[in-house]
Amino acid sequence: MDAGVIIAGILTLAIYTFLYRDNPIYKAAESLLIGLSIGYALVIYWQTTLVDRLFTPLFSRGELNLMVPLILGLLMFSRFTRRFSWLSRIPIALMIGAGAGVAIPAMLYARTLKQISASVAPLIGKGGGFNFEALVVAVGLLSTLAYFYFSREHKGVVGTAAKVGTYFLMVFFGATFGYTVMSRMSTFIGRIDFLLTDFLRLLA
Amino acid sequence: MMDRLKTRWIIFGGLFIVVTVSYLLRIKFESTASPEVQKSFTYLEELPEGSVIMVSFDHEASSLPEIRPLALAMLRHAFKNDLKIVGVSLFAEGTAIGYRLLTETAGESGKTYGADYVFLGFKPQQISAILGMGESIMHVFPEDYLGTPTDEIPMMRGIKNYEEIEMIVSIADGALTVHWIEYVGGQYDQPIMAALTAAMITTYDPYLASGQLYSVVGGLKGAAEYENLLGRQGGGNRGMTAQTTAHLYVITLIIIGNIMYFRARKAGRE
Repeated sequence: MDAGVIIAGILTLAIYTFLYRDNPIYKAAESLLIGLSIGYALVIYWQTTLVDRLFTPLFSRGELNLMVPLILGLLMFSRFTRRFSWLSRIPIALMIGAGAGVAIPAMLYARTLKQISASVAPLIGKGGGFNFEALVVAVGLLSTLAYFYFSREHKGVVGTAAKVGTYFLMVFFGATFGYTVMSRMSTFIGRIDFLLTDFLRLLA
Repeated sequence: MMDRLKTRWIIFGGLFIVVTVSYLLRIKFESTASPEVQKSFTYLEELPEGSVIMVSFDHEASSLPEIRPLALAMLRHAFKNDLKIVGVSLFAEGTAIGYRLLTETAGESGKTYGADYVFLGFKPQQISAILGMGESIMHVFPEDYLGTPTDEIPMMRGIKNYEEIEMIVSIADGALTVHWIEYVGGQYDQPIMAALTAAMITTYDPYLASGQLYSVVGGLKGAAEYENLLGRQGGGNRGMTAQTTAHLYVITLIIIGNIMYFRARKAGRE
């Protein structure tokens, strides 16, 4: 049997010992998982960002314009000294400015304008028939907004609309929770599949 | 304390037995493809031979049990229809997994690296990478995952940016697909397809309803349905059988729990 399969099988069982109670075997497997994940990500980031994009072009190919991001990056470490910590504001300001400039128009379009236009559909469909789905969306949208409208007390029409809004919210939370349970169950099933098929070889 | 522990052992022990037995007995449940899965399948099915799709592995290793059957089914379908695949990863952990899934499915279909598929690897700063590829993929990925200069890869010579790519498939367990929708869908009018873990489906429903997302294949259920359409059973169908029996077990526990609660409440009143 492949050594990797044996190690993975033992570690899977070690993680599941937590179902009995918290114990050192579980803790060891958990620490190993966290350490490996961080270590792997660190190596990938080091290679793909610092080596490939900065060190190699700058020091091997002499692309001196890369001194600018190098210096800006190093300025971030000035936060460790009280005297020069203000220097870190330069790269932070640049990141926030550029990030906001790129993100705001895209998010405004994708998350606001497109979503609003999709929510405001005509109640009469193209064939002349009644569009029930559009009605549900309209009622759901308005009542949920009413629930989050706190400038007026939730009484009368606003109160009724807010009450309806809570039902829509509950449907959403229920669906999300149901899918999450399904997802976690899938993870468990995946490990059982691995244990029975690859580790114990009970299934072909 | 001991009672709570015992209850937990019974619940988890029962779940373990239910899932294991459903695997060993190979109980089979019929499932029909949902409209979303059918839409995804039909799109890839109808793409002309030689069309290029970009598959982005935007997930962690921890979601592999759910992601793997999804990815395998879709990659097998793409290779079966002689589509060319450009693989990338915007999540560090998805890098090695993406390469492995691509080489595994390519090997099954007899596809050649560099001619039929390529894996460009990981790029940090997802938004700048996504936007950069809209100008030039080679500029963002000067080398592929194996260190070969991208301009020396035969398949990549005709692919400059998103204009040469028919569809972007984001295989994700989090919010990274949103970046594809917002920046590539919004700015480059590029269709996006998502293969998601079940937990993420409701997050993407608004994008699906507004047409910003072309289609979604979600969770083990989506993988099982896709496998059925493809005519090749795999981890999705195996897992879905266990999933169904596990759900029945959970529903039974909920009913028992409610009966016990109402009986205890009634006894308390009396």
